[in-house]
Amino acid sequence: MNETFSKLVKELQAIVGERNATDDRAICTSYSRDQHWHFVPAKNPACVVRPGTKEEVRSVLMLANTHKIPVIPYSTGINVRGLTIPVHDGSILLDLSRMNRILEINPEMKTATVEPGVTFGMLLEQTRKHKLRPAFPDAPLTVSVLANYYLRGIYQTSATDGHDHTISYEMILPNGETLKTGSRALSEMPYFRYGVGPDFAGMFGAHPGTCGVVTELTAKLYRLYDNRKEYFIGFDDVGTPTEFIYNLMHDELAASIRLVDNQSWLEGIFGTFDYAYEKLPKFVVCVLVEGVDGIFEARDTLVRKYMNESGGQVLELPAEFARTFEDECLGGAEKSCMVFGLPGKGNYHCIGLYGPLTLAAKYYEVHEKTALEVGIPKDHIHFYIDPIYSFHGQLCYFELDVFYDGSDAGFGEKLRNYNDKQFHRLLDLGIYGWFRPYAGIIEPTAERIGYLAEVWKKFLHVLDPNEIMNRGKLF
Amino acid sequence: MEQEREEEILSAIHHCVKCKLCSIASFHPNAEWLPLCPSGQYYGYQAFYAPGKMEIFRAILEGEITEPSEGLLNSVYACTVCGACYEKCKQITNVELGAPELFEEMRHELASKGWSLDVHKSIAEKIKETKNAYGERYEYKVKEGATDKNADVLYYIGCTARYRVPEIADAMLGIFDKLGLKYQVMDEEWCCGSVLFRTGQVEAAEKLIEHNVEEIRKSGAKTVVFTCPGCMKTFEKDYPDMGVELVHSTQFLTRLGNMNLKKEDLKAAYHDPCHLGRDLGIYEEPRAVLNEVADIKAMKREKEQAWCCGSGGGVKSAFDDFALWSATERLKEAKEAGAEALVSACPFCKRNLKEAAENEELEVYDVVELVNRCLEG
Repeated sequence: MNETFSKLVKELQAIVGERNATDDRAICTSYSRDQHWHFVPAKNPACVVRPGTKEEVRSVLMLANTHKIPVIPYSTGINVRGLTIPVHDGSILLDLSRMNRILEINPEMKTATVEPGVTFGMLLEQTRKHKLRPAFPDAPLTVSVLANYYLRGIYQTSATDGHDHTISYEMILPNGETLKTGSRALSEMPYFRYGVGPDFAGMFGAHPGTCGVVTELTAKLYRLYDNRKEYFIGFDDVGTPTEFIYNLMHDELAASIRLVDNQSWLEGIFGTFDYAYEKLPKFVVCVLVEGVDGIFEARDTLVRKYMNESGGQVLELPAEFARTFEDECLGGAEKSCMVFGLPGKGNYHCIGLYGPLTLAAKYYEVHEKTALEVGIPKDHIHFYIDPIYSFHGQLCYFELDVFYDGSDAGFGEKLRNYNDKQFHRLLDLGIYGWFRPYAGIIEPTAERIGYLAEVWKKFLHVLDPNEIMNRGKLF
Repeated sequence: MEQEREEEILSAIHHCVKCKLCSIASFHPNAEWLPLCPSGQYYGYQAFYAPGKMEIFRAILEGEITEPSEGLLNSVYACTVCGACYEKCKQITNVELGAPELFEEMRHELASKGWSLDVHKSIAEKIKETKNAYGERYEYKVKEGATDKNADVLYYIGCTARYRVPEIADAMLGIFDKLGLKYQVMDEEWCCGSVLFRTGQVEAAEKLIEHNVEEIRKSGAKTVVFTCPGCMKTFEKDYPDMGVELVHSTQFLTRLGNMNLKKEDLKAAYHDPCHLGRDLGIYEEPRAVLNEVADIKAMKREKEQAWCCGSGGGVKSAFDDFALWSATERLKEAKEAGAEALVSACPFCKRNLKEAAENEELEVYDVVELVNRCLEG
């Protein structure tokens, strides 16, 4: 490490305390790689800084901005798509996990305000006391609430929560200024997204990186219901169940719906490896109904009616499966990580995207076709769909999965070939948007978005003229 | 390291998806956020959690890390190798190689490069000179005439019970005496080598094993009783089969059946020692014995998902502040459970927990102490 950088580390230590900033090689190495290493190669940050307050964040950013040093914000460290792996030499990894306070749970407003280090598990532990829950991503409950909502405020494990769970937040920019969005800018009440002027929360949401560091975020909370019922219906293809899913979504009946191919996520949803999944039909629709008395019964009656008309096979599964399905969708994912334990294919690659239910069968078809073309065995190809309330545009989340052995470098090459082809094919087929800024996805996408790309660049330049923030490999 | 072994390790490392579920106890069904990794919780950097440590090991094996920096030594050795991360991971992912095995292998790799902590090297030196881990030059005295050279049962006392918490050895011997059981101890008991295995100094344990095996064979004992799970684990996993039965004190006492114990009016939480529980799978016998002498109050993190006391893996000798912090966290949990006493079944746990409880209104015992106290003598 050169002398200038050593001096910088001393300055960072003066801000956050000696214990909380280091350029130690081994410590930096522990941040160098995530599960996406076949696409984003390992790279060490030059130092790791762990601020404990927003004022420390501000001082670190201003220092980095002065010296034009890249900054990679990192919340709780459960990242699987290379988003916090440094791109440039000499980067500061800003580990925000010390900032893990739940600043407010407001049961009357049905909101929670959190710092970046708060996980979904931490938040649910507190909100459930008020019979409330956050909207969950399909990710381990160890992930950051703030980072997940900020990165993409749309989640799919609940069919009734819909999208846009973010209400407002506070972001510290590289120049040290604080940007507050929504009603937060105008008052001490951070409870309304469309407060003053343009919807800045929306302008940052779905951005593949960041222009600053979000130090607190207010999000929506949702009711926890005592009445719940689960159903599992088997189908032999992807197309047939789409009418059933359409009916459930159109009439707003189900709290959670997932169409999954039975050899992949079912282990996690059902919470055990010890079941003969191969005996089930090829695709399974999992449905969770909930609600207050009366409404619950009415919904349940209608769900059963549609289920019986669906042409699917109603499956009798062990009772404990239902509880795990509830937990995984509306209680924070823990067991679904079982896919990491599938023999010989415990690592997973996916392309997550948003699109209409009408294209479900086509997405599956092109997924299978491309995977087979690049030499991925059929039993490594998986798929699932989650429809999203309120279903305008028949909005669904689609996940095109490949499970594989991460230690097999040759398979990594196949996956890179798969991505190269698949991004173009999906764009040609038509999608609403990508779930994550996967490596290699931006280039074919940016060339199709016209003048938006120009405006986007200018917007980034205004907020981060020295380009120190991790922009998610965008421009 | 042999290439095949290196490939096996790298493969296991590549399979870690860094979900970090290994850092918390099972969340469902009670929806409680309970940290499980003392090292990560205390130090905070990713390097101190299992996924970060694995990444460091990868970088060592692939030649990216070539110097023993302070951060390297701290992240590798400020870990009790308690195995809680592995127990959690195993439940979810069927992971093929356990984290404790991986991390001990990493320490062995470091030690082979001469990258050990000075304090751990010093322990190895003490063992070499005095045959005990504390460098003590006196002998723990067993009451004259109490032992029987022809006894089938041999009590292997262990360094910590001999030199740091002798009340455990005293209690075990007291139990033998009060129950009129014949037993013997080794004429010349040497350190079992546990601390050397835990700190990567594997080769230094060879002579100890040789000596202890020879002594036990000579003794003619059929059963070796341990109050120290660390010693017992080392005998189980690293010693050759001596054709004798290895049992923990709580297993031994459970088998005795009714001991006429006078149950005390004491609310006690049971702390699962890592070596006894996660390593040897012994969870029920200590509880069965404790239930005979006290009213058990369950803590939130128990059995496979017990919070480590913070003492093992060479941590107590090298990172005492961290060790005591971990113990204090456990004491808090015992108090929250409504316990008046925290009871373990391991001298290493007792020593650290007791030290942390110095200014607390919470008693710390080994289960054999309570049994000895409750025996009608």
